[in-house]
Amino acid sequence: MAKVTREVVERAGVDVDQLVELLVKNAAAELTTYYYYTILRVNLIGLEGEGIKEIAETARIEDRNHFEALVPRIYELGGELPGSMKDFHDISACPPADLPADPADVKAMLTVLVEAERCAVRGYTHICNLTAGKDHRTYDLALAILNEEIEHESWFSEFLGEGPSGHFMRRGDTSPFVSKFLR
Amino acid sequence: MRELTIEELAQYNGRDRKPAYIAHRGKIYDVSRSFLWQGGRHQAIHDAGTDLTAALEQAPHGPELIEEFPLVGVLVEGKEHG
Repeated sequence: MAKVTREVVERAGVDVDQLVELLVKNAAAELTTYYYYTILRVNLIGLEGEGIKEIAETARIEDRNHFEALVPRIYELGGELPGSMKDFHDISACPPADLPADPADVKAMLTVLVEAERCAVRGYTHICNLTAGKDHRTYDLALAILNEEIEHESWFSEFLGEGPSGHFMRRGDTSPFVSKFLR
Repeated sequence: MRELTIEELAQYNGRDRKPAYIAHRGKIYDVSRSFLWQGGRHQAIHDAGTDLTAALEQAPHGPELIEEFPLVGVLVEGKEHG
């Protein structure tokens, strides 16, 4: 634990235990989403599925990166990850991104993906709201993750016919916003 | 439609296998089956068995997500005891 780090956050008016719980729950959401997206990605096949596979893979890798980036902050603030992987799964801030009954139904696949991203967008917006002007490091991290989750949402939303995402997909690199926390 | 006071609502806190109810704008919803309300808590901050009308103003989502849950009652003023 980084003692002074925790103290200054507490003095700024943040309930640090509550914040740590939120960070752990969102770390769980990232790692479990990485797992569920693996299943979704391998099932994105055929003429329609192949077109989505690449962005599902990018979102999958970036969600794993989010998990990696969150863990140090949890421990800096005096928190820890649950010892049980099953417990970790069950406290996730977002529901499991289960494979639809018919994996050939690309719209159903996209709906699972976009709902997972929307849950994440809400979650990191919430953390940003709690930490803005009070816990600069957590805010910076949550904002970086939020930027990537918003892009993920917009990619899947575009494929669902909800309108253009407004930007290109990644060009080889991943985590343009979060990578600074992974060095 | 059931009528519950705020005190009666507090019993439906989702703990010890009790149902998890939340109130919003006078309506009571059953969130017991939601993954996001396990143990009667939501996002480490909100508790079941309470009126979340004010809290929702600060939430990163609107009432539409609450309105998806089964409507089980309405919130009423406390009963007079004499």
